[in-house]
Amino acid sequence: MTQWLERHVPKVVLAPTFAAILLFVYGFIGWTAWVSFTRSKLMPRYEIEGVIQYTKLFASPRWDTAMNNLFIFGTLFIVISMILGLALAILLDQKIRTEGFLRTVYLYPMALSMIVTGTAWKWILNPGLGLQATVQGWGFENFQFDWLVNPDYAIYTVVMAGVWQSSGFVMALFLAGLRSVDGEIIKAAQVDGIPTPRIYSAIIIPSMAPIFLSAFIVLSHLAIKSFDLVIALTGGGPGYATDLPATYMYAMAFSRGDIGQAASSAMIMMMVVFAIVVPYLYSELRAKHD
Amino acid sequence: MARKTTATRKAGVTALAWIIALVIFFPILWTVLTSFKTEAVAIADPPVWFNFDWTLENYATVQERSNYARHFMNSVIISLGSTLLGLLIAVPAAWAMAFVPGKRTKDVLMWMLSTKMMPAVGVLIPIYLLFRNLGLLDTRSGLVVVLMLMNLPIIIWMLYTYFKEIPGEILEAARMDGANLRNEIIYVLTPMAVPGIASTLLLNVILAWNEAFWTLNLTAAKAAPLTAFIASYSSPEGLFYAKLSAASTMAIAPIMILGWFSQKQLVRGLTFGAVK
Repeated sequence: MTQWLERHVPKVVLAPTFAAILLFVYGFIGWTAWVSFTRSKLMPRYEIEGVIQYTKLFASPRWDTAMNNLFIFGTLFIVISMILGLALAILLDQKIRTEGFLRTVYLYPMALSMIVTGTAWKWILNPGLGLQATVQGWGFENFQFDWLVNPDYAIYTVVMAGVWQSSGFVMALFLAGLRSVDGEIIKAAQVDGIPTPRIYSAIIIPSMAPIFLSAFIVLSHLAIKSFDLVIALTGGGPGYATDLPATYMYAMAFSRGDIGQAASSAMIMMMVVFAIVVPYLYSELRAKHD
Repeated sequence: MARKTTATRKAGVTALAWIIALVIFFPILWTVLTSFKTEAVAIADPPVWFNFDWTLENYATVQERSNYARHFMNSVIISLGSTLLGLLIAVPAAWAMAFVPGKRTKDVLMWMLSTKMMPAVGVLIPIYLLFRNLGLLDTRSGLVVVLMLMNLPIIIWMLYTYFKEIPGEILEAARMDGANLRNEIIYVLTPMAVPGIASTLLLNVILAWNEAFWTLNLTAAKAAPLTAFIASYSSPEGLFYAKLSAASTMAIAPIMILGWFSQKQLVRGLTFGAVK
């Protein structure tokens, strides 16, 4: 009896999770894929009509803007967050006495909802109130900062808020990486009189390659699913200048009542995620089995 | 001489770290300050920082006009409910994987975690339609279930990493002392598992509290938690910074306090256990 339990209990307790994932993740993604090949409008329809939704999607200038924005936002967001995160981690690695406190403050933006902290960002970026008014008040009358309402630059305000939110998180990742480097090697290098910047660039940072990779994966995943950032800051505007794929899909599904179009855009987003995540998972599994 | 330069350097580094902390903290500080201003002061040009007549009026107005307390309770019920429900399913599952690992355990874990990488947009439409047909739109119970499902892989994975840290030898020792399975679980494993479960609970309450994608899409006036409420409040009343700040301050205060008392768990949780 005990033996039977030991053998089968693990399977029994895992079964609900297994079933839930199969249905709610794979089943529903399959459903979305199916519907993306139909003419569904307000209600789903199930007769396959071919790739009409995808043709319409790729012909849509709004989708084009959304994908462009994803590219601009994703690249800048990932690169800047990584650079700032690494810089902050190195800074905190200098044995500052109040490190615990500072680390928490750096992490707060990630722990708070962007919808909520967006209130402050809207004020900061508002040309009549926040940064522009403050700097002009200091006597720099010509200072201009109207990116939030400028269709060509509004996406960069989304980058700013995104970087603000994520740098502390990247910092925490990198700080752990810095701490996990063998202290003996660093001591030896210090004894040999190698200057600190050189110790970082030649010894510590190269040994953190896996952390760079996982930071990249997590950040790109955050970039693709970014939704609340745009909703909180610009609502996709001005016009649809700051639309991202997620907000495009949201607009199609709920404002336009075009389920087929929403489904096809969701499938393209899935494919972008797969293109990034699958090679990573594959290499992880390979590394484990070797 | 050398010692002196190190001391100066250290003071400089510390000052820099504090200045950065202030910059990062600024939007939060601004929100709290603005919540105590009148609307006129909130949009003053040039901005007023501390030198104004502090007022609690905004807090009263927010509650009066839109029944803030209700949305606050929605947030509490949804985030706690989804986390507790998730733990109920995840604790046995993580337990089994940590203590009775099979050949495939690692692969199953990776597979579960990989589903978390998929964007929620892929399943939004079917879940929305399902909710519409079942009458679950704008209900707290519906949201509890969805958020639980979305965070289940993370809950299981976090619990697994915590359970893995419980040394197996301690079980053998207990067994040697004649403890049966029941006593083993009650007196040995449970006390050791509680900190891990608490950390997981904390992180998931925070994640659920901040969740915006599902709450915005699946709720309206009745079951909206704070995120959805604030998003809706900010569009029609976009220019009422003081009231919006009061609503925002009350929404972030619980997380800031929780986060303060659990800094370590927060770091570990937010970095998905990559940091210990």
